[in-house]
Amino acid sequence: MADYYAQLLLNGVVAGAIYALFAVGLTMVYGVFRFINFAHGELIAWGAYLTLMFSQVLPFALAVVPSMMLVILLGIGQDRYIYKPLRQRGRITLLIASIGLSYLLRNALRLIWGSDLQTYGFEAARGLSFANLIITRTQLAMVAAALVFLGFLYGLLKFTMLGKSLRAVADNMDLAEIMGINMRRIGLTVWTLSALFASAGGVLIGMDTNLEPMMGLTNLLKAFAAVLLGGAGNIWGALVGGLFIGVVENLGVAFFSPGYKDAIAFAVIILILLFRPTGLFSIIGGMR
Amino acid sequence: MGKVFWLIGGLFLLFSVAGANAADEVVVGAVTPLSGKLAVYGEGFQQAMLLALDEVNAAGGINGKPMRILYEDNNSTSKDSVSALQKLITVHKLPVVFGPAASSNFLAVCPVAQENKTILIAAQSAASDITKCGDYVFRVFPSDELQGKGAAELAASLGYKEVVLTYVNNDWGVGLGKVFKENFLKAGGKILDEFSHDEGKTDYRSEVLRVKKHSPKAAVNLTYIKEGATMLKQAYELGLKVQWLMGSASKSPKLVELAGEAAEGIIGTYPTYSQDTAQYRHFKAAWEKKHPDKKIPIFGEYNYDMVHLTAKALKSAKSMSSADIRLALIEASKGYMGVTGDITFDENGDVGAVYGIWTVKGGEIGDYRP
Repeated sequence: MADYYAQLLLNGVVAGAIYALFAVGLTMVYGVFRFINFAHGELIAWGAYLTLMFSQVLPFALAVVPSMMLVILLGIGQDRYIYKPLRQRGRITLLIASIGLSYLLRNALRLIWGSDLQTYGFEAARGLSFANLIITRTQLAMVAAALVFLGFLYGLLKFTMLGKSLRAVADNMDLAEIMGINMRRIGLTVWTLSALFASAGGVLIGMDTNLEPMMGLTNLLKAFAAVLLGGAGNIWGALVGGLFIGVVENLGVAFFSPGYKDAIAFAVIILILLFRPTGLFSIIGGMR
Repeated sequence: MGKVFWLIGGLFLLFSVAGANAADEVVVGAVTPLSGKLAVYGEGFQQAMLLALDEVNAAGGINGKPMRILYEDNNSTSKDSVSALQKLITVHKLPVVFGPAASSNFLAVCPVAQENKTILIAAQSAASDITKCGDYVFRVFPSDELQGKGAAELAASLGYKEVVLTYVNNDWGVGLGKVFKENFLKAGGKILDEFSHDEGKTDYRSEVLRVKKHSPKAAVNLTYIKEGATMLKQAYELGLKVQWLMGSASKSPKLVELAGEAAEGIIGTYPTYSQDTAQYRHFKAAWEKKHPDKKIPIFGEYNYDMVHLTAKALKSAKSMSSADIRLALIEASKGYMGVTGDITFDENGDVGAVYGIWTVKGGEIGDYRP
């Protein structure tokens, strides 16, 4: 019985690591531009699908490279051509524009690859087993990738000038600009990181399970819940929030029907909005 | 005031024109998923119906008048199924409508049809609740009531006394699960655990773990293709060794393609009929002649039978009122041998079925032989 809960916990941590990757990207964009980019989920899905496309002509490990680059371009492009012209119109306009864009990108996926489920075509393999716990190689890769990317982000924010200016912008955009911080450079960095994390996570989810056009939306909801949990704009809060959602929804299965697993993220969203709209970690302040 | 008057007048004219075309041809409606997530199936249903329609019209139509099927797209959703059916009933005033695929969509429209006394026929909806829709609702596809029984008999015949049961969390899955449970318990079986799982997810590890927790010899999984494949694969990865027992909705080469080795050895039931009849051979030849490069679509046979049976009823109906057509339909079905076998309606408008057992062996779906 203890094995059962331990395995659920392990699965929760793996899922949570990927949610954290998405949530960090989402919250970074919020921190700088002050709106939730609802098209973030589509960067996840496009990363996965473009890799599928390139993997037909390239070995899988290489196919990831051009697809991530294209998703980064997509991330920068959506800012350059859609969000930037609307930036002075207020946050609601940006929010609605991002919802519209998410529909466009999602349906473009459907148009090109169809609604049907797709896979990278890896053979099913028995997972590795440690002390009655089972983890697949892909799951190990998911945790490793999350550690690498988030570690890189930590280093960037903590030790580089770029990271410091990013935090300054997140704190107060106008003031930072007056102080001579190059906003264009900050914008590019934020979109690049957020698109990179999204596409990497998308590919890993695709490897772990399957690809389908709705995969972006499902994961966006989890990331959104994690962002709220951590306090919008709070990067390390989003990380913890992601892990929390992953663990709670997996452990929850032990107590009620797995059919309602996704409802946990929704419940978190509603509870947080009702009782602590600034997030659980708003007291600690977190790192901006 | 004047504008409103013309608007109403114009609309009235439009509606009467739309209704008037029924005089020189016999029109039957169809709510079909031509877009949305079921569109992949919808096109096949439509082609199978049109094949039968061509044959009806080539043989003189409905007493000399050509028969026509008016398709309304439902975008694969229940909401749009209802508006599509309402349009066919109120604007086009059609007495007979072929209902939408997916039991949830069909169940959403059946009260509308019953209330308007419009005949609604299903060619691929299996939910057992459809039986209770009313006396204007028919189907040429066997109810899950039968499949649930079939699956329970299968589990018992293979010697499994204790199973874990899981099903898709929608009208079809929950209904089928219920029927299975009733019959399995009646046969002296024991359900170790029972839970539903959501449609369309990519991660079913928690569900698989819940099965594993009980270490059962067999697990009954009443689900679709994608969901089934993902679950089988993840069960394999998590080292779950269990005999999977499945239904007909996951019987597809796509399941084997997606799940690979993990699908090996699963056993399931499916409604079947003899392919060794004159009717089936005729259907197959006609299909291959019209669509030489296409395989017969899933449930194509049922759609084909539905159109032919309806044509037979329309020919013998006393009038084109839905009450008369309903009586003619019941009469026409008596002993009617279609491609899918005997489709005599019972008092609930359901048909009987024979169940076969399928399995996956060497990456191929075939009949199970103990």
